[in-house]
Parts: sequence; structure tokens; C-alpha cells
Amino acid sequence: MNKETICFILNGQKTEVDVEPTLLLVDMLRNNLSLTGTKLGCGEGDCGACTVLLDGKMVNSCLILARQVDGHEVLTVEGLGTYDKLHPLQDAFIAEGAVQCGFCTPGMLLSAKALLDENPQPTRTQIARHISGNLCRCTGYAKIINAIEKVAKGQPV
Amino acid sequence: MSDYRVVGQSVKKIDAVDKVLGKAQFAADIQFDNMLYAKVFRSTVPHGILRSINIAKAEALAGVVSVLSGKDVPGANSAGIIVKDEPVLVKINEKIRKIGDPLALIAAETEEIAEKALELIEVEIEELPAVFDPLAAMTEAAPKLYDDGNVLAVRKIRKGDSQDAFGQCAVVVENEYRTQMTEHSYIEPEAGVARLDGDVLTIWVSTQNTHFDAKEVARNLKIGLDKVRVIQAATGGGFGGKLDISVQIHLGLLAMRTRRPVKLVYSRTESIINSSKRHPCIVKMKTGADNTGKLLAMECTIIGDTGAYASYGPGTLTRSAVHATGPYEVPHVTIDAYTVYTNNPTAGAMRGFGVPQVAFAHESQMDILAEKLGISPLQIRLQNAFRPGAVTATGAELTQSVGIVPTLEQTGAVAKTLIGDTCAAAKGTKKRGVGIGSMWYGIGNTGLPNPAGAYVNLLDDGTVLILTGCADIGQGSDTTLAQIAAEEFGINIEDIRVVSADTGVTPDGGASSASRQTYISGNAVRLAAQAAKKVLMETAASMLGVTPGEIVIGNKVLSVRNDYAQSPALTDCRTECRRDLGLTTRQKELSVGLVNCIAECRSTGKLTMGHGWFNPDTTGLNPDNGQGKPYATYAFATQIAEVEVDIESGEIEVIQIVAAHDVGKAVNPINIEGQIEGGCTMGLGYALTEEIKVNAGKILTNNLATYLIPTALDVPEVHSMIVEEPEETGPFGAKGVGEPSLIPTAAAIANAVYNAIGIRFTTLPITPEKVLAELQSL
Repeated sequence: MNKETICFILNGQKTEVDVEPTLLLVDMLRNNLSLTGTKLGCGEGDCGACTVLLDGKMVNSCLILARQVDGHEVLTVEGLGTYDKLHPLQDAFIAEGAVQCGFCTPGMLLSAKALLDENPQPTRTQIARHISGNLCRCTGYAKIINAIEKVAKGQPV
Repeated sequence: MSDYRVVGQSVKKIDAVDKVLGKAQFAADIQFDNMLYAKVFRSTVPHGILRSINIAKAEALAGVVSVLSGKDVPGANSAGIIVKDEPVLVKINEKIRKIGDPLALIAAETEEIAEKALELIEVEIEELPAVFDPLAAMTEAAPKLYDDGNVLAVRKIRKGDSQDAFGQCAVVVENEYRTQMTEHSYIEPEAGVARLDGDVLTIWVSTQNTHFDAKEVARNLKIGLDKVRVIQAATGGGFGGKLDISVQIHLGLLAMRTRRPVKLVYSRTESIINSSKRHPCIVKMKTGADNTGKLLAMECTIIGDTGAYASYGPGTLTRSAVHATGPYEVPHVTIDAYTVYTNNPTAGAMRGFGVPQVAFAHESQMDILAEKLGISPLQIRLQNAFRPGAVTATGAELTQSVGIVPTLEQTGAVAKTLIGDTCAAAKGTKKRGVGIGSMWYGIGNTGLPNPAGAYVNLLDDGTVLILTGCADIGQGSDTTLAQIAAEEFGINIEDIRVVSADTGVTPDGGASSASRQTYISGNAVRLAAQAAKKVLMETAASMLGVTPGEIVIGNKVLSVRNDYAQSPALTDCRTECRRDLGLTTRQKELSVGLVNCIAECRSTGKLTMGHGWFNPDTTGLNPDNGQGKPYATYAFATQIAEVEVDIESGEIEVIQIVAAHDVGKAVNPINIEGQIEGGCTMGLGYALTEEIKVNAGKILTNNLATYLIPTALDVPEVHSMIVEEPEETGPFGAKGVGEPSLIPTAAAIANAVYNAIGIRFTTLPITPEKVLAELQSL
């Protein structure tokens, strides 16, 4: 298949990748770019584990072709925080006990970020509605919602 | 109890930073140069004989490196936790027993090529009549999956004379309950990578039991156990479904054959089709009480459809039988539990392990009895609940750490305040109701030895390395075990590293199942830490001129005990003591730093390392009457659910759940709350939405769009209450909570639905369709 070169901003860095037209965004991130923080849980858009932000909006990276991000901006969990400086949501997820197996966590964090960027003061119901496309089988969601609420309220974690 | 420094604290999970950064390495994230990608060719028929397989076209496809079939399995070609009945690859002229049975393996340069090659494999299968109904499977005329017949196991429990006792009952309730097949739905599908280094095969895998995996790989590859190393990758949930073999042996075969690294990752659909399920059960239960509500007799028959292979089936149904009375003392009991093979998907371990099924039944029965007797659901439970001295159906006496009564009292009190008058909240077409569910759960495997080992190594700088076989699948065992060691050494958790579930370096910890690891591996770690500490204490005592019993450890210092140090007679005593020990009184220090003490150990030729081994005190169950002591300790719980039923749509919303759990001692309260909230949520799915629908052995709900697990919008507020009835033999008094958190939820919800609309559902899940159908038939 003919490859094409796409150019986009990935976690703040200009990035060029040669991609096949059928390559999925999740596969480009995980395989071509070794950014394995983005998880693949179903490949059908049902679980939200592969959530990344495309121009600030959350998308299931398993339902998007890599070439669709040409000229756009993508944020993955690798761009959210570092060991030295965790993102407040990452701090809150740890402090509130919102992480169990951790497989849904990267997608959940990005989903939460998209919400807070758009609506900095969501209610618990708004948080629940927003993350309802991100499945978690371990936590029962309460501690995830607590963590997002803490960050929204600017409370120390 | 509260003078612990680290135990009892909600310390942060030690793996959480890696997980929020996306750095935790799950098996699918592992990448090696020159790696191949594997796919499994599987049966699409539920029962048959494999007559031929043609792999030539698949082998010829460019990019395909290896295609293996049954003849390429050098070893036993059988796997299974209890019974080795599951073929690694079905051989020619051997049996296929379910859709999904593996027939061939492909390793190719890319996943796409491997997938294409799947379509090029040709097989001839002679189809056999199949059986999908466990009751039909138990009849003589049924097609047989195995030569010995379809009934794999029968567990009988006999206590007293139930037949006679029913004659003395004022009220007897008899019902048949049916529960559905459900799926674990961990968000991470099964995955693994294998690599051959020299003659050692290393497999990184998403698993709940590396040591079992290694043994199965060695048996089937016919290589020494010393040549197999299974390392647990970060594991994205298990809930019992990652106890069975999935990718491990297939990866081993391909890596050995190709001598290249190989990766195998299941798709979601492949995961749903091939992983074990929760047993669908038929529970016939007859319960009798006197006119005060005191239970006198119970008879119960449980039929569990274990599908094509045993997996944990016989263990699951044994556990159903042992727990069928619920947490109540019943003097006269007759229980029979059947594990039955069919051509359905395999059922095995799933959170609760056969107990949620019987809890739905016994808790419904309790409410029906209470109503007939005109007493409250809480009262009938309190009246019959186990108390110290009670004797279970298996004849085991519960002597201590029996926390069911406090869970009843505390949920009852809190629910009264929180829920108040639910009828008042009901508006229009919505009816509210409250229901209660209680449970008990034996910690560890049923009536079997199930030990765990641990090594604890105190390093030169005073930090600690724990080596444990216990797989942390997200529940937080690494953190719990670190807390236990930290408490023992009086150091901070930051100074501890846990290496877990790596057969190359860690001792066998047994499975992360049966809610057993806090109790069993926790004890092993504590004993190992104590062994290492003993070396330190002896050395410090000798350095300070006292006896080891007079040394305390904390804050990286070993000191002479306060009461002793302050004694005016100290100097004399120390002098005497040192003389007794043949030492001279060369120093007057009252303490020695941990690091200096370790250095002294080294220089005197002692290793500051301990090993611990713990096996819970159990006895096997008598095969004729089920009598024995199946567990060393039990967890207890009560949950109260408030629901709202929309009588127009049939929809049920769970408003809140009050959940009180006796965990012995809460080593990490926030993690325990997480278990309770997660368990209640999974229990809600069990009650209302989740069902693996199977037609002629084929799973119809094979993705997460059709198999509905709760989302953030479906969950109620869960009020977790931790009850601590310390277990004498537990590490710092701890028991377990992982499975108990789910067990009573569906029962409580079903009872709440009855309370709301007066309809008693005896089958799960309680879908809107069922609610509407029942309402319309009123």
C-alpha cells in the first residue's frame, strides 16, 4: 500500500510519520511511535481505553485513521505529566484511590481533562455522564469521580 | 489495635504512579526486535471430531513463519487447574468440545499476515450431537462429552436430619432460582509475549497465577520447570478469568519452534469467546423455620453448567455447596451440588466463586420466610446469624472473627438514617424499595492446602526487597504486602520494593483468587520479615549487651526497650547479661542504627534475609457428607440496597448501597473501599444487565456493545463501612474482601425490587423486559 507522510502536533511536538492509509491512530501511537500508554481494550469504540485528545476533544483512537490527524493536535497520556511533574488529575487519581488495574486509567485521565478544559466546574452527574464512555471494571467509578471533582474544585489532593 | 504505623493507613498504591503515567507495562505493550505475531485458529463447531487439518496454504503465505497443529505439541497436550481436560491444540481424530477450541497456531511477521493465514487453514470436522442444557446433559440419553459421562463432580453435605426437621417447621419455603452466565470483562484482553534466551523460555503474561502457568507450559512443552520463567506483566484486571491458561502455552510452542520472540494479544471478541465464565446455576432451595423465625432445616440442590472443560468448576460448585446456608446456623442440612459438562463455553472462577449464585437464593428465601412470619428481614437475619461457637453445615465451629452480626447491625442503623422513608420519595410511575443481602465467604481454597511463600531481604542500606509469588492484578496486593513488611520492620513503605509473580525469582504464592492473598501471602511476608528481623534483633542485642527480647525496632533504629532502658537496674543488668553472653561491657549505648546493625550482621557472617511460608489450617471435606474444616477463616458482609423501579419502562435504578464488610483488619482502608465500590458495581451488573447469551454453544453477546457492564452513569452511591473483627491467625488480624464485595449485591437488589413492586424475581438478570412482563401478568 502507498504510504503517505502525515504531520501533526503530538504531545506538543511536531511529528511526522509515514502511514498506510488504513492505519488506525491507536496502532500508529502504540506501534509506530512506541507510545504504549494508550491502551486497546476492544477496538470497537465500546470501552474508551484508547481515548486520546484530538484538538482537545476526546476521541477513541481505535475508530480514527492515523491520516485523519494530519495537521491536527493529539494529546496522549505521555503528554499529560512526567515522573517529576504529574498533572493534577494524575495526582488526584493516585491520592483518591482511583487507580486499580490501571488499564482504563490513561483513557480515563484524558477524558477527564477534556471535560475540565471545557467545563472547569462540573457537577458529579456531569462528570459521570462525561466519563460514561470510559469503562472501568475495577473501581465502580466513585473514586474516579471523586478525583476529578477534587481537581475541579481546586482542592488539595 | 490502632498503634500500627503503616498497617491501617490508606497509603498510596505503590504501582499507581506508573499507571497514571501510562508507563506500567502490560503484556501487549512489550516490544522486542524481530518479534512475530501469533493468531489461533479455532473451532466454529461445538462438538465434533477433528478429522483433518491442512496448513499448507497458510504456511505458503509470504510472511508466515510457522504454523503448528496438534501433532506439534511435544508434551501432555492438556491443561486445566483441577482436571487436565483441555487440549492445547486438538489433535487429529480427537474431540472438539466447544466453539473456540484451538486447532492451529500461526506466527507471522505481522498481525495482519497472521490473520490472513487463518483464512487459509482448512479443516474437516465430523460434527457430533451436542448438549447445551445441563439438566439434559445429566440424563443417560445425552450426548457424552467424555467417556465417564457429563457429571464431572458431585459435592454432598449432610448435617443432622433435614427430612425429619422439616416436619417440625412452622413455615417452609421452596423455590427454584436460576442465574445467568456472566463474563469478567476485565478491560485488558488476554495478552502475552514469549522469548527464548539460550534454553530458557521466558513468558510475560497477563495472569493471576504465574507458578501454575509455568507448570502447565513445562508439562505441555516437555521441558524442565527450571527452563520456564513466567513473569506477570501489569495485569488489567482478572476477577478469576485470568486463572486459566490463555496464551501461555501457545506462545511457548511458537517461541520454541521459531526461536524468535512471539506476541499474542486477544481481541475483545476472542477474549469473550475463550475465557472462562461465571457458572450459570440452577439452585433449588427449601428452607424451614419455627414460628419464631429460627431456621431449622435446609435442602438444596445446585446444578452448575461448567461447559466443555472443568476449569475451576468442581471447586466453584463445592464452594456453592459449603456456602448455601448463607451466614446462618442451620442445624439440619442436605446439600447436593453437581458440576456438569455441556458443549457451552467453559465456566470457571469468577469473583465470588459460586457463592453469588447461592446468595441470591438464600437471601431471597430469608426474606420470604420473614414475610410469612411477620418479622423484619433484618430481624430474621440477626436471629440466625453465625456467632462465635456456631457450627457450619460442614461441621466446622466458628470460634472467633465472626463479624456477620456487626455488619447487620451497622448497615441496618445507617440505612435507616440514609434511606429513611423510601415510599415518600417515590413519584409517579416510580416505586422505591429497600432490600438486604448478607453473605459469608471462606478465605482461601476449599478444604485444600493452599500455601504461599515469601522472601524478605533486608539490604545493606536498610531498604527492603520483598519477593512474593502473589500476582497483583489491580487489587493492590503489592501495596498491602509492602505495608505488612513495613509495619514489621518499623520502616516507611517508600523503603520497600516488591517483586511479585516472577517464577524465576519469587517463591510460589498460589493463585490471586479466593480472596486469599492478604491472609495467606500477607502471613508469608510477615513471617519472612520476622525471620529477617530475628537476625537483626539477635545481633543488636549482642551489640548492646541485652537479650533479643529487650530490643525494639523502629525508625531505622534498634533500641533497648523503653521500660527496660529507663530501669535503674539497667547498668547492672546489662553487665550481667553481657557476662552471661560471654561479652565484655565495652559500651553503654542504648541503640544501634539499622544500617550499622546490618553491617554487623554481614561482618559476623549472617544474612539479613528471611523466608516465610503460610498454609491455612484446613481439612478436606468428607466425600460422603461434606464434613470438615474447609477454611481457616471467613469474611462476612451485609449490604442494603435502595432501588427505584419505573413501572412504565421496567427500568431499575439502584439509588444507593450501604455495604458493611468484616475484613478482620483493614490493612489499607482506601483500597478496601475501592474493592467494595467495585464489587458492588459488578454485583449491580450481575443483578440487572449482564448476561452472556449463548445459542447452541455460540456466544451472541461477544462484544462490549452487547454485553453490558455498568458505566459511570449506572452506579449508585456506595457507602462502604469497614467492620474489623480481627482474625487471630491473620497478618495484623486481616482476612480478605475482594470477592465478598460482590456476593450479596444482586440478592440485596432483588429483595429491594420485591419491596418496591411486590414481584419476586427468581432469575437473574432482572431486565426491564422481565419487569414489564411480570407487571403485565399481575
